[in-house]
Amino acid sequence: MFLRRVPARTVFVSALSLVLLAAFASPAPAPEVRLSISKAFGEKVMIALAPFEADEGGVVDAEEVLGVIAFDLKASGYFSFVENRQFLDELEADDRASGRIDFQEWMTLGGEVLIKGAVTVTPNEFSVEGRVYDLGQGRPIFGRRYSGPVDDWRAAVHDLSDDIVRQLTGEAGFAGSKIAYVSNVTGTKEIYIMDYDGANRRRITRDSSIAMYPDWFPDETGIVYTRYRGRRQETYRVSPSGGEPVRLTSFPGLNAFAAVSPRGNELLMSLSRDGNPEIYRLTAAGGDPRRLTYSRSTESSPCWSPDGRRVAFVSDRSGSPQIYVMSATGGNPERITYQGTYNTSPDWSPRGDLVAYITRHEGIFQICTVDVSTKEVVRLTTGSGHKEDPSWAPDGRHLVYTQKQGGKSDLYLLDIYDLEPVRLTSGTGDYLSPAWSQ
Amino acid sequence: MRKMIVLVLGGLIIAGFALGITGCGSKEEVMAEPVDDTGIIEETEAISHGDVELYDQPEDIVYIETHQFGEIHFDFDQYRIRPVDEAVLEDAAGWLKDNAGVRMLIEGHCDERGTNEYNMALGEQRALAARRYLIGLGIAAERISTISYGEERPLDPRSTEDAWGKNRRGHFVISE
Repeated sequence: MFLRRVPARTVFVSALSLVLLAAFASPAPAPEVRLSISKAFGEKVMIALAPFEADEGGVVDAEEVLGVIAFDLKASGYFSFVENRQFLDELEADDRASGRIDFQEWMTLGGEVLIKGAVTVTPNEFSVEGRVYDLGQGRPIFGRRYSGPVDDWRAAVHDLSDDIVRQLTGEAGFAGSKIAYVSNVTGTKEIYIMDYDGANRRRITRDSSIAMYPDWFPDETGIVYTRYRGRRQETYRVSPSGGEPVRLTSFPGLNAFAAVSPRGNELLMSLSRDGNPEIYRLTAAGGDPRRLTYSRSTESSPCWSPDGRRVAFVSDRSGSPQIYVMSATGGNPERITYQGTYNTSPDWSPRGDLVAYITRHEGIFQICTVDVSTKEVVRLTTGSGHKEDPSWAPDGRHLVYTQKQGGKSDLYLLDIYDLEPVRLTSGTGDYLSPAWSQ
Repeated sequence: MRKMIVLVLGGLIIAGFALGITGCGSKEEVMAEPVDDTGIIEETEAISHGDVELYDQPEDIVYIETHQFGEIHFDFDQYRIRPVDEAVLEDAAGWLKDNAGVRMLIEGHCDERGTNEYNMALGEQRALAARRYLIGLGIAAERISTISYGEERPLDPRSTEDAWGKNRRGHFVISE
């Protein structure tokens, strides 16, 4: 079952024109230049990330900024890095002394791309400037400056990272995206948001109840979630900036697993209002419930296909929980998982080809993907520690998920091709049920 | 050789055409037909799933703990009512018949094994199974509500068979 997929797609970057931006870039974006490097899928572009210039003793130091950029570029999956810090420091020092870039010397480090930059912090503004060079051609690719409030400096740096990814690969980066999740650090489960890299964690709800199953509305305009109020289970919508949640549903019985449609105008939920957990389709305000499934069995955990035309969900109609796919208007579901006796928690990739889910494998919950068309299964995780709740990044290549280990739960990031989990949360409390903003 | 190629190509074109005509694209589907399932875990009575059994759960009801009924318990991964628990349910039905104005809420719970998500659905199935049983004993459907807590509220937080058995439960509360 453990097979590696190699798609035919290649990472293709092409040179368009030569542009050199001055140290203080103009507000209007300049024409784009890209590398003349053609990479087969899986080959990474090697980057030399030089120390950035900065004033001494700033509120935000250049090391931290570089750390964010390095994490973003590494997380994208397209890049590897020149590791030797001493050489990087020396060459950068030489360049500053001479006032020019010695491309020949930089190339000896093995990098194909050189990134330099500068950080400027004033009481009212943070700015980071990045300059990217094609070492093979010995010329600039692009340079841009990003500014913003000091207390939101990471957003400006993530913008730079996303532009670097876009310039070098043609793909959109996800460095500015957010993850909503559940944590019990306050003693009760509440909804939180953090940057995708685990920074800037902030609590969104104050229900002092049990909050669960967050999901995003498009463009981060809201979060839907389930909570208990008294002895009712209800669904609410809350703004990512916090504030009073608005109730969406309060049907008798189950009001769970609200999944927002790709256009943000509808919800899928599992409701038991007619005496059995079934999949329903409702408006984004929680009204007009239309039942989609008719089965004596348990229907739960619905999710949308990225085109909004199909639904994947969990049903135990065969005798064990398995993943099914049906039209978003209802109709005969097609079973898509045939390996294992416990398959739950589907999430449909934004690319549309794969559904990620949880399988019980030799007693441990692991993450798999199944190709919706071919039914080919790939198991992505190994090792002890139950994994749950996979949620796709906007690139359809990365996942965030919960892993229970040593009595607590934390969130992990995974590249489905590199398969090296990166831990995003730490500290007391449990972190679970993540949802990645699209 | 050229003849072979033409034949193969022709065959492929015809095959492709045939596929196109039979319609690989999705049809427009209206409301789903009820599906008659086989191989389901348990047969249940009392509620026909062809009828939509909607009931109301007014928001101003306050439920309180009662110590007069025991709890019922479930086998691992099951929501079937066990014969040994039928006496508790009969007790509850008898009491409800004697107290006509009172409503009941049944809580469904799971042990910690299983995913959080699936346990929420399983807990609801446990509560619903108890509800169906009471309706089968003659209690009006609108008097009984359900709620699932999944694995969120274990009675016993330990990870032992004993604790797990206690946690797989149906719990009864009544309206004031």
